Amino acid sequence: MTLPFFFLEFMTGLASAASLFLLAVGLSLIFGALGIVNFAHGSFFALGAYFLFALTHGDASGFWHYLLLAVAASLVVGAVVERVFIRRVLNRAEHYQILLTYALLLIIEDVSKICFGADYKSIGMPKGFEMPVFVLGIPFPSYYLGLVGLAAATALLLWLFLHRTRYGTLVRAVTQDREMLEALGVNVPLLFTVIFAVGIGLAGFGGAVSLPLQSISTGVAVDAVISAFIVVVVGGLGSLWGTLLAAILIGEIQAFGALVLPEFSIVFAYVLMAAVLLFRPWGLLGRPPTVRT
Amino acid sequence: MRTKLALAALVLALLPWLLHDYGLQVAIQALVLGVFAMSFNLLFRNTGLLSFGHAACFGSAAYTTALLISRLRWNFAATLPLALTAAALVALVIGFFSVRLTKIYFTMLTLAFAQMLWALAHKWYGFTGGDNGITGLLPPGLLGNPKGLYYASLMALAVVCAVIHLVRRSPAGYTLRAVRDNPARAQAIGISAFQYMVAAFVLSGTLSGLAGFLQVAWQHSVFPDLLYWTTSAEVIIAVILGGSAQFFGPAIGAAVLVVLEAVVRSHTQYWPLALGMVLLAMVLFFPSGVVSLFQRRQRQEAPRATA
Repeated sequence: MTLPFFFLEFMTGLASAASLFLLAVGLSLIFGALGIVNFAHGSFFALGAYFLFALTHGDASGFWHYLLLAVAASLVVGAVVERVFIRRVLNRAEHYQILLTYALLLIIEDVSKICFGADYKSIGMPKGFEMPVFVLGIPFPSYYLGLVGLAAATALLLWLFLHRTRYGTLVRAVTQDREMLEALGVNVPLLFTVIFAVGIGLAGFGGAVSLPLQSISTGVAVDAVISAFIVVVVGGLGSLWGTLLAAILIGEIQAFGALVLPEFSIVFAYVLMAAVLLFRPWGLLGRPPTVRT
Repeated sequence: MRTKLALAALVLALLPWLLHDYGLQVAIQALVLGVFAMSFNLLFRNTGLLSFGHAACFGSAAYTTALLISRLRWNFAATLPLALTAAALVALVIGFFSVRLTKIYFTMLTLAFAQMLWALAHKWYGFTGGDNGITGLLPPGLLGNPKGLYYASLMALAVVCAVIHLVRRSPAGYTLRAVRDNPARAQAIGISAFQYMVAAFVLSGTLSGLAGFLQVAWQHSVFPDLLYWTTSAEVIIAVILGGSAQFFGPAIGAAVLVVLEAVVRSHTQYWPLALGMVLLAMVLFFPSGVVSLFQRRQRQEAPRATA
């Protein structure tokens, strides 16, 4: 394996890691705060891509400003879904939470089939990234680098929000002790709506910016949510840096696994997930769950 | 209860002579999913563990049967013992590693294991046929006849129900529920929760394998879908839809689900949308399942009748 080839494979892995991170980070955020395992998370990722496609009609020239609209639409959808559905199962047994979000998955799947059609949708490279860059003499899609930059910027902004703003402090506080926060007079239901909307907005953003990389059609959501689970479980449910680390690990494992054993690259990710669950059930960078009755 | 049970058994025994071909196919599918759902609920009801990996037991039994027939030319019915063994082994491995975890972590680990098996079946074209699956598995004799398969499935359901009933009333059943309701106290009085939960997982998985075997006899083929996480989701839906707290709830939920699907699919292609709506309604308005709907009505009517 030559060095340039190795480097390109690494960058390809990093690009899919960027997509995985954006997909999974909202799931992790929502689980950390609301304790909900959102089986519809992949559907919101797909929905973001559908929104972008519908707005641009597949024409990449308007990519960047329509991207903002697609993310805004995802935020609104997230807020509405939390208000109407999620809120009602927050204090219920987890199998009801799973069934409710699974129901949302099924409904979104069919509704997007009705609204957008069942065919594959893709879009060209967005403005500013049409030309490939040459890495050590080999052409490489410049948008891959752009995507990695977007994901890195998102991670950084999210960290700044969570650790350097008052509202971010509230978000972290609600993951630890909801009742105490309520006793202090914080509007926790509103906080939950915001967190869920942001999580869904992130998924929609991830889906939209991943559209130039991978075409979208029905069935993507069902696969995407499993990928998101793997990332979040490996990284640690509720951990931002854990999600980033796991996304990079899995992106690279799949990129290089495809070289070693092309047929089974998908199996490696599950093996990693099972290994992590066996030896560190709370994930690589997650906190061990505190025992509370 | 006895008379109701006898009446239900009579109706089920006569059903093949009342239904046309398509109706009989739907009835068989309902029975097979019923076997699967009852088996799943053996674990869920007695331990509180929500497995998202039962597709692994169901599918590995189905693939064992399919592989033995297509590769080694075994007789269809003769594959049953090995199919059940495969399901038991898969359940032993998954259960051994998973039951130590609780709640959502248990659910996620069982999901990971099942997905590993799915990925293998999906990608290992040389052995499992990949996503082309294995087709043309027509069972000879009794199992190949719709009526015969119906009665075989009905018998399987009866056997599974009997096993679950025995487990429920056995000391092991009480032990499991003691662990479920208060793990700390169960441990304090010297119960090894781990062994009992693994045993429950293996028994539940083995019986799920019986459903997997019947599924092959019904659809004459296997595909990786049988191992995918949506199969695990389907059995959970059947169980909760019927009501996991009711003894026959899972089987009734399976029948409702399968019949509903057949009816909806004959009118529209949007079955997932309809199922999603039903699930939403169930979670929000009748969380104890359809069986409890009728019971509540009875309870409300009862005082009026005596007054």
